Amino acid sequence: MLAEQLEGNIRFLSSVDSWEQGIQEAAAPLLDNGSITSGYIDDMIESVHENGPYIVIVPGVAMPHAKNNGTVNKTGVSYLKLDEPVLFPKDKEVKTFFVLAAEDSDGHLDLISDLSSILIEDETKDQLEEADSEERVLEVINSVE
Amino acid sequence: MANPAHATDNVVEYKKSPSARAKVQAFGGFLTNMVLPNIGAFIAWGLLTALFIPTGWMPNEELATIVGPAIKYLLPLLLAITGGRMVGGQRGAVMGAIGAIGLIVGSEIPMFLGAMVIGPLGGLVIKKFDKLVENRIPAGFEMIVNNFSLGILGFLLMILSFYFIGPAIEYANNGVTAAIEALVATGLLPLLSLINEPAKVLFLNNVIDQGIYYPLGMQAAAETGKSIYFTVASNPGPGLGLLLAFTLFGKKTARRTAPGAIIIHFFGGIHELYFPYVLMKPLTIIGMIAGGASGIAVFSLFDAGLVAGPSPGSIFAYLGLTPKGSFIGIIAGVLVAAVVTFLVTSVILKLDKGSEDDDELAASVEKSKAMKQEGKKSSAAKQQQTEEINKISFACDAGAGSSAMGATTFRKKLKKNEIEGIEVKHYRIEDAPEHSDIIVVHEDLQERARKAHPDKEIITIGNYLNDPALADLIERLKKK
Repeated sequence: MLAEQLEGNIRFLSSVDSWEQGIQEAAAPLLDNGSITSGYIDDMIESVHENGPYIVIVPGVAMPHAKNNGTVNKTGVSYLKLDEPVLFPKDKEVKTFFVLAAEDSDGHLDLISDLSSILIEDETKDQLEEADSEERVLEVINSVE
Repeated sequence: MANPAHATDNVVEYKKSPSARAKVQAFGGFLTNMVLPNIGAFIAWGLLTALFIPTGWMPNEELATIVGPAIKYLLPLLLAITGGRMVGGQRGAVMGAIGAIGLIVGSEIPMFLGAMVIGPLGGLVIKKFDKLVENRIPAGFEMIVNNFSLGILGFLLMILSFYFIGPAIEYANNGVTAAIEALVATGLLPLLSLINEPAKVLFLNNVIDQGIYYPLGMQAAAETGKSIYFTVASNPGPGLGLLLAFTLFGKKTARRTAPGAIIIHFFGGIHELYFPYVLMKPLTIIGMIAGGASGIAVFSLFDAGLVAGPSPGSIFAYLGLTPKGSFIGIIAGVLVAAVVTFLVTSVILKLDKGSEDDDELAASVEKSKAMKQEGKKSSAAKQQQTEEINKISFACDAGAGSSAMGATTFRKKLKKNEIEGIEVKHYRIEDAPEHSDIIVVHEDLQERARKAHPDKEIITIGNYLNDPALADLIERLKKK
């Protein structure tokens, strides 16, 4: 399920200038395919300004997301991997972004369940960190599903 | 004296329950969080004092005028503000400061302990009031009600603390003085540490040194050329041992700031720098007393003394005031005190560390807040509550992403541990249902969660997947 959703939404960049830009770049595929509007990206960034970097769910991995204020057309996820980590507030370093856009608060639970399965095991988390191509990322994700 | 007394109450009351230790730690966590954010101000004051007071390294009359007001007003107010904010948010912080100024002006001595009581108390008062009038304010009048309620309650708190709380604490100080005089009369000098060390940490160091020991010392020095009284409360050894122990075994922030504090304390002679570390882990006072007493014992053994009161109590001032023939005794006394304190404090910190972590600390602060708020009765109720956990709610800003991640992962963990019958769901913070037994939220969102659910047990985490606080929760659920 997660792999299916991610297909075509996976990007690799060497670095970004700021965490804000990181979220924008990471969410770009979802914006391009019409899953979200640019308002959703603003909301995700605003949420960090307002609530702190709690979207950094485990060290090194951020899961930007926000409430759907009519800004999400279709549930989707996208993935961005940086070579150089970017600093979030409170000096949290992040190299991996999973942008999450959910139409409602229940429809995407399978996605989240898969994501947590990957991140909770050190082995798969490391594999994901080393994955350097879309195929490889999807392979790691498929291995836990 | 009220705070430490409170802590002891808890120890006694919860000794039999399995979480007695957790309760004590929770209280310690509350103190830590009140003191730690303000260490920088202590350092600023310490540097200023070490350098510019008349006996400092580069005396400067003008700059030295900051020393008094800073310790009398700035530092206690900061503690009161932080304490107030922890209990009652920004409005609590304002109340804490208003209450603290009453006792500061109402008393002659620095009001640290008082500020650490009145701060949280002020926060509690405004929080209770806000809860009382919640939803009863006519639309459009919120601003005026909010400002005037704080203003009027603050006005009353200010008067109350001026007339009653400040003098009560000063009265306790006089008790300390009387107790020391009684101990001096017994002739068993190491026993003095029993009073000296707690009194110092409560910022009475100058009161006892300059009020009691230096006059005694000057009498003796006039006859024999030196006196041990100059050393009984000014030995820089115990503070050095304590800070070294924090440097090696303390937790994150405390560990990082301790080395700097050593320089200002041991070489600069500003003992106040180590007081916050004891205040945040009150048990470490045992190490201070043990070290202080050992130091006095060694000084007595060698019949060592100083020719005048070392002020500030730096190792350099010590050596400068040591008469010929006392060097071995003085150096040995300082070293022994440092070693003894270091060893005892290390054991205390290590025992503490085994079961505690910064994140858990945040969680335990929550518990202690609830405890303080509801009083002891409902802590017992809370105790019962832990026996019956049916619903755990993970909450976040949107109720869709990280909370769902946390809930999903936690459900998996429950399954793995074969724990059944607990509903784990995710919500937007404000939407978490009232029948949740526990609300789990990221530490960044803690304040918002508390505002929305003031009476709930809130566990804060820094990591949605593998947080130690969640591991502890699993253990707790297993015991059912």
